[in-house]
Amino acid sequence: MSELPADIVLRVDRLRTHFELGSRVAKSVDDVSFDVRRGETVAVVGESGSGKSVTSLSIMRLLAPPGRIVEGEILYRTSDGRILDIATLSQKDMRRIRGREIAMIFQEPMTSLNPLYTVGDQIIEMIRLHEPLSKLEARKRARQMLELVEIPAAERRLDEYPHQMSGGMRQRAMIALALSCNPKLLIADEPTTALDVTIQAQILDLLRRLQAEIGMSILFITHNLGVVADIAHDVVVMYAGRVVEQTSSERLFEHQKHPYSRGLLACIPDASRDRGPSGERLRLNPIPGNVPSVMALPKGCSFAPRCPLRIARCEEDPPLLVAEPHHLSRCWRHDDL
Amino acid sequence: MTASDILLRVENLSKHFPTKTGSVKAVDGVTFDIKRGTIVGLVGESGSGKTTAGRCTLRLIEPSGGRLIFDGKDLLSLSEREMRSYRRRMQIVFQDPYSSLNPRMRVEDIIGEAIDTHNLARGAAKRERIAELLTRVGLDPEHGRRYPHEFSGGQRQRIGIARALAVEPEFIVADEPVSALDVSVQAQVLNLIQDLQQSYGLTMLFIAHDLSVVEYLCDEVVVMYLGRVMERGPSRSVYAMPRHPYTQALLSAAPVPNPKAHRQRVILQGDIPSPMNPPSGCVFRTRCPYAIDACAEVVPPLDPIAPDHHVACIRRDDPVVLSQGKRL
Ligand SMILES: Nc1ncnc2c1ncn2[C@@H]1O[C@H](COP(=O)(O)OP(=O)(O)OP(=O)(O)O)[C@@H](O)[C@H]1O
Ligand SMILES: Nc1ncnc2c1ncn2[C@@H]1O[C@H](COP(=O)(O)OP(=O)(O)OP(=O)(O)O)[C@@H](O)[C@H]1O
Ligand SMILES: [Mg+2]
Ligand SMILES: [Mg+2]
Repeated sequence: MSELPADIVLRVDRLRTHFELGSRVAKSVDDVSFDVRRGETVAVVGESGSGKSVTSLSIMRLLAPPGRIVEGEILYRTSDGRILDIATLSQKDMRRIRGREIAMIFQEPMTSLNPLYTVGDQIIEMIRLHEPLSKLEARKRARQMLELVEIPAAERRLDEYPHQMSGGMRQRAMIALALSCNPKLLIADEPTTALDVTIQAQILDLLRRLQAEIGMSILFITHNLGVVADIAHDVVVMYAGRVVEQTSSERLFEHQKHPYSRGLLACIPDASRDRGPSGERLRLNPIPGNVPSVMALPKGCSFAPRCPLRIARCEEDPPLLVAEPHHLSRCWRHDDL
Repeated sequence: MTASDILLRVENLSKHFPTKTGSVKAVDGVTFDIKRGTIVGLVGESGSGKTTAGRCTLRLIEPSGGRLIFDGKDLLSLSEREMRSYRRRMQIVFQDPYSSLNPRMRVEDIIGEAIDTHNLARGAAKRERIAELLTRVGLDPEHGRRYPHEFSGGQRQRIGIARALAVEPEFIVADEPVSALDVSVQAQVLNLIQDLQQSYGLTMLFIAHDLSVVEYLCDEVVVMYLGRVMERGPSRSVYAMPRHPYTQALLSAAPVPNPKAHRQRVILQGDIPSPMNPPSGCVFRTRCPYAIDACAEVVPPLDPIAPDHHVACIRRDDPVVLSQGKRL
């Protein structure tokens, strides 16, 4: 049986998830490791195609073929203190983990909510699947869940169908459904990306409050560094299927130790930095070029072709190096940053 | 300022969509000016009427009321035939770089189509023009032979911009042109837009929901809510000191990449009401932390509070509202 420090709920260790497409292989996730501690939020951030969703689907074991975990461990500590390797669990055992131990929410609420049933019936069914409660007791719990996510007139809303709710309300209903079995870990894949900033602020606030109340851990997937700064304790920066930098949120925004993270932050317009003394606009500093395809990664460091700090050594693939205590960087030149 | 500094004056513009269950007031009495060579940002939550207002200014959809004065001419008084010469001068760039380009056409034909519509060039001159446009947006002229699916999102957005530029417009409505792009690519497209403004004096209405992009790119900003303008003015003043409670809430909700930015956050309760049946008086009052009974009585006028800076709020000078603006 594997070991796991007591405060760690989830440990992803050297995970590789590939899609074999004929003779070609998409290395969507290739050597990803991180820990999620109890009651804390880890953000996984990266641009489109960097492997964020494939990472979360691997943890939930919801990958559809030809997607396959080809290497690595996903250690999870259950509520009763056992440590399981999710990567090798049978689908039957996994069904007991999903929902009750680890729940997931998505960008699009209708991927979780069924349009044909009322919101109440869906939450009640989820509760009764995992706990021996009467219908009436389960309904009461379902109402409390809607109240918990601050849906007004909860009793009435139980009998509404998803399409009768606004986008922000549906998102809350999905969160209520996900939390109805008291999961220890919530995986949230871009849950606020499609929402307006005012509704996003409500949902982030809600997640923060629920975390404080229930003590759950959150793996929060996003491409928005502003959201990361808002919600995360720790950050994992992904690029082309790999972790390129990993540290606390505070540290990352203060001092990036990988040229990609630094480049990403420099791209985000910031009027206090990108406007001159008389208010004239200064040009932004985009990262040149495009993200490589995970089917045809360059030799050596995947970021090297776009990197301003590239040196000859970058043809050799760097491992995740310890740049400073609790600060990892997949860059040979992290000391020069 | 003389009237000729203004390229487009939007006056009391409205667009009501009749539906089975009633009329949707998508745009309801919107007024703003766009000065020549400037970029005006149009922001607001989903459903606030940004796209509808943008399309109305080009008469891509017919407004229900109001006036559109483009270069001194009242566009709504023009017949469709008279409108043609104006159409060439005004173009649109769409949000979605995936669905806005015909997948079965080569890039050179997508751009060529716009040139043909207005009979601008033929044969070798047209080919040369297409090559020049592709170069101008940072693509290789060789790319003209390819199809849209062979390009990344940022490259497709450049193709959309090249298509709009093909007819040498003076004015472009860009409807969320960078919203679907990753930040590294978004920065490339924002630089391109600036180059176009600076080298060709392009005037632009830039629709967006990312407030930091608007603060950086736009000379002026118009904040919409439920079809109405809540506040408008020079970006610098509006961002430095937002005066309308809705602008304050929007700015405070926008996440910034700095965990130490402890801002006084205003969390708005509830959702945007239905435009079918908007609240009486001030449409924002149902979510406004400072609403009082009087807010339900009259529609607040968009009053000037400084040169070019207008606010539609009866409590705009109240110390609680003022101090919230200062804290942001
Ligand atoms: N079913 C699949 N078959 C083949 N390739 C896939 C499949 N699913 C994902 N991929 C590839 O894996 C890579 C990572 O995809 P993933 O969905 O994890 O990206 P992401 O970081 O979540 O991006 P986004 O921000 O766009 O959601 C992409 O290059 C994608 O094309
Ligand atoms: N053809 C139409 N018929 C009926 N209602 C419409 C029509 N087009 C738009 N609307 C409604 O008008 C309102 C404003 O829509 P619009 O698309 O202009 O908003 P928007 O600010 O661009 O939103 P988003 O940020 O989501 O793009 C919405 O309530 C929308 O549902
Ligand atoms: Mg994804
Ligand atoms: Mg729109």
